[in-house]
Amino acid sequence: MVKGYEVVIGLEVHAELNTESKIYCDCKNAFGLEVNTQVCPICMGMPGALPTLNEKVVDYAIKMGHALNCTINNVCKQDRKNYFYPDLPKAYQISQAEVPLCENGYLDILVDGEERRIGVTRIHIEEDAGKLLHSDKFDGSLVDLNRCGVPLIEIVSEPDMRSSAEAHAYLETIKSILQYLNISDCKMQEGSIRCDVNVSVHKPGEPLGTRSEMKNVNSFSAAVRGIDFEVNRQIGILEAGGEVIQETRRWDDTKGESLSMRSKEDAQDYRYFPEPDLLTIVIDKERIEKLKSEIPELPNKKLVRYVKEFGLSQKDASFISEDIEKSSLFDECVKDNPKLAKSVSNWILSDVAKYCNETGKKISETKLTSNKLLYIIKLIGDGKISNSAGKTIFEIIIDEDKDIDEIIKEKSLAQVSDASALEAIADEVIANNEKSVSDYKSGKTNALGYLVGQCMKASKGKANPGMMKEIILKKLEG
Amino acid sequence: MELYKNSAFELSQMIKDKQISSVEVTKSVFDRIDSVEEKVDAYVTLDKENALKKAEEVDKKIANGDRLSPLAGIPIGIKDNISTKGLRTTCSSKMLENYIPPFNATVIEKINNADMVITGKLNMDEFAMGSSTETSYFKKTKNPFDFERIPGGSSGGSAASVAAGEAVVSLGSDTGGSIRQPAAYCGVVGLKPTYGRVSRFGLVAFASSLDQIGPVGRTVKDVAMLQSVISGHDKYDATSSSTDVSDYLENLKSDVKGLRIGISKEYFSDGIDSNVKDAVYNAVKILEQNGASVKEISLPSTNYALSAYYIISSAEASSNLARYDGVKYGYRAKEFDSLIDMYEKTRSEGFGDEVKRRILLGTFVLSSGFFDAYYKKAKLVQRRVSAEFNEVFKDVDVVCTPTVPSTAFKIGENINNPLKMYATDICTVTINIAGLPAMSIPCGYDDKGLPIGLQLVGNKFCEQTLLNTANAYENIIGGFKSPLL
Amino acid sequence: MNIDIKHIAKLARLRIEDGELEKFRSDIQGIVEMVENLPDDIKDEPLLDPNNSMKLREDKVRESKYSRDELTKNAPHVTAGCLVVPKTVE
Repeated sequence: MVKGYEVVIGLEVHAELNTESKIYCDCKNAFGLEVNTQVCPICMGMPGALPTLNEKVVDYAIKMGHALNCTINNVCKQDRKNYFYPDLPKAYQISQAEVPLCENGYLDILVDGEERRIGVTRIHIEEDAGKLLHSDKFDGSLVDLNRCGVPLIEIVSEPDMRSSAEAHAYLETIKSILQYLNISDCKMQEGSIRCDVNVSVHKPGEPLGTRSEMKNVNSFSAAVRGIDFEVNRQIGILEAGGEVIQETRRWDDTKGESLSMRSKEDAQDYRYFPEPDLLTIVIDKERIEKLKSEIPELPNKKLVRYVKEFGLSQKDASFISEDIEKSSLFDECVKDNPKLAKSVSNWILSDVAKYCNETGKKISETKLTSNKLLYIIKLIGDGKISNSAGKTIFEIIIDEDKDIDEIIKEKSLAQVSDASALEAIADEVIANNEKSVSDYKSGKTNALGYLVGQCMKASKGKANPGMMKEIILKKLEG
Repeated sequence: MELYKNSAFELSQMIKDKQISSVEVTKSVFDRIDSVEEKVDAYVTLDKENALKKAEEVDKKIANGDRLSPLAGIPIGIKDNISTKGLRTTCSSKMLENYIPPFNATVIEKINNADMVITGKLNMDEFAMGSSTETSYFKKTKNPFDFERIPGGSSGGSAASVAAGEAVVSLGSDTGGSIRQPAAYCGVVGLKPTYGRVSRFGLVAFASSLDQIGPVGRTVKDVAMLQSVISGHDKYDATSSSTDVSDYLENLKSDVKGLRIGISKEYFSDGIDSNVKDAVYNAVKILEQNGASVKEISLPSTNYALSAYYIISSAEASSNLARYDGVKYGYRAKEFDSLIDMYEKTRSEGFGDEVKRRILLGTFVLSSGFFDAYYKKAKLVQRRVSAEFNEVFKDVDVVCTPTVPSTAFKIGENINNPLKMYATDICTVTINIAGLPAMSIPCGYDDKGLPIGLQLVGNKFCEQTLLNTANAYENIIGGFKSPLL
Repeated sequence: MNIDIKHIAKLARLRIEDGELEKFRSDIQGIVEMVENLPDDIKDEPLLDPNNSMKLREDKVRESKYSRDELTKNAPHVTAGCLVVPKTVE
């Protein structure tokens, strides 16, 4: 609820698929190459050129359909969406209208600790358009057709979201599923995921309000800003006694506002009709089942499991679950050691994440294994090495394939837990710090920390800090 | 030697036996072009230089003793909507006046691999929309039987050039009768193959679900030979079929014993000229006398087919022709003050009236609020038409009809009456709607001496049956007549 | 029914001059009346044809046989390898 209004949000997500070739021709599906070099007569829409459908695009869309609990229409077809624009060389986009590949699904997301089920109306396959380049210095726009024919899936949700936070969680979940399935690179900065947002507001108990559609939303945070802006704009209109009109608006993220593009009256008439250059798509039932069997446990399911089974916070659990490598590392470590879940999660959230961020590497590109991480955690837990020694070892084994016991020996990182050795250190420190000792005795208990610190320093960090503290305490009290 | 008068079959034997060379045949055809093209106007673009070069190559290969395809060295004309790499492909439109394709249509690759000699590009109705070749931006092709009359269309250049000896054989395209109707008007043989039999890759699309490339020749044998060259699956055309292709010449028969012919009253209504009716009935009688059986059949949805055809073909055309916007290729208006201004001026100046009519009709039947009543209904009617033919072909092998209700009309006679022009397609469009193969062969002349066409319709992928029937008829009557120019 | 030919022409990006409007309108009207005889007893169903399905293409890249120059040589206006159109944004 915002200012006494209920908010209704529906999202259309476009994701580029990471196939080798384009959807309707065998040009390379690649980003960022020199203008108009990844094109052929087919994706340039030359007279007489014809499309052929890439089977991987169908497979990937079916996988996403399974992941979002959709019905897979094993008999479906493609349609033409007709409109004129310089980035659309055929003046129609090959898409799906009447019968999409996947429909009637849902996605469970976790918002503020609560599970919410968002309906998925449909998922269909289509081709991307080219790009227009503009420059103030040049009196005209430049057309680069490299992106024409890059495969897309469009995922259309039901209007089931009630806040920008839910919309954000939905988008993040969709993104992590795409990555889990390894069907999209999900690079926001390259525009490989984009979304259109439908928003309306109404008073509780009243019928749904008129919706506006917002285009050109290029990041998830922009989606949140756009939704919040649009909700406030619509409430403002209603509060002033006005009426929200059905229209398409364009989100300008730099200005932080949406602007009207066109109203319902001059809405585009896309004149959809079946693509006559392509025949009906018929997919074997076995193929559909096989693709289903390839779907791993998905991040939204993992997220709920981590919170419920291991007591991780939603924030920590979603950080680990959204990335397939982090979550597999976590799952492998805790499989036989559920009690270590918190430590494992701490390591992944701090040291592992930090290393990956700094080096830009994925976990699979490092030498880290679940066994090694577990071993370090266990050594620390057993008091065999200190926390800081553990970090030193971690920094080595993530880069090199080295035996941990060897490293401990080489760098003499083993923790001193021998009571007589520790007592000797304690005696020495007590003798050299009379002032702190008397401070402690006069009730300044924080002097204890200083004394333990001095002992650690004297041991060059190798003393078992727990034992050290107990010994000092015994001596001071005694 | 007037080699241009010979059939491709005869010429190929003579070339194989080294009695003549491909260069001699090619020169003879170009000499013929020099003498009659002024009157016929069949070509948009001639390519004599490359044709002679190719002919020399073929002669060298023959001298080397290479094994060549049966049609090696035979001159062929190509309809100007089939993409030829490096040779302009205009669709007889101002829009593509200077368009030079960077690639070859699959059929052109096949023609090249068969070592045929391409003479040039043949005139047609603009973007294949028309029944008279009068909508060409460049010229009006004349009927070689009477220069005051149209050659038919849209493949008017393909039929007229072959009839006049300006090409030995040619390729046309047929969306609603565009090969068969001009073949009938010009007294030659034309075949529209089953939809999917010949690759459409590189054929500039008019109506994608109906278009099909096919051969035109002066004899059935020539058409059979050329059909063998161009048939087959193409992985670059998703609608092309992988059904086996036979060698149509090798398997060509010349008797019709046991052939079951169907006659449908829907094709002999009051709108059919009595000369035409008589000639078609007579041809059927000849086949019957030679061993075929004749049966009355019914195709009740025929009456809807013309409507379904104009709706479906125009809808697809409105989308297929949207790409001509002055951005990537083709004509662009000289002056404009915005993107939309450029689009509208370019398209209004680049397209002729008939193309505009089809685009407008097609846009209308797809537009919001009208789609279900027009386009969708037409597609559903299409299924009914197909189903009726499926039933019929359980009982008969070939359906015989007139190709066109009357003989060739005068230039200008119907140009301002689209409905009258469209009505000439009544016998042919149904076949495209059903995706079937059909041929037109000459079956007589009217009282003005103009040729009449017999249409033979077969079941899907039964081109051989049609060719056999046509071949038998040609043999029985002792061959077809050429016009005197 | 009266066909809004101006609207249709706008959708099709065709400019019909006022002098020609009536001719096109009556031509299209006539054709539409001709094609209106379609039967009503037809069951509405999706336009699918499962008995005539297509083979899909293997996901394999084929390096382009065409240079950029070859593919853009037919374009009316090319700058720095790009096609040029009137400005699409203000």
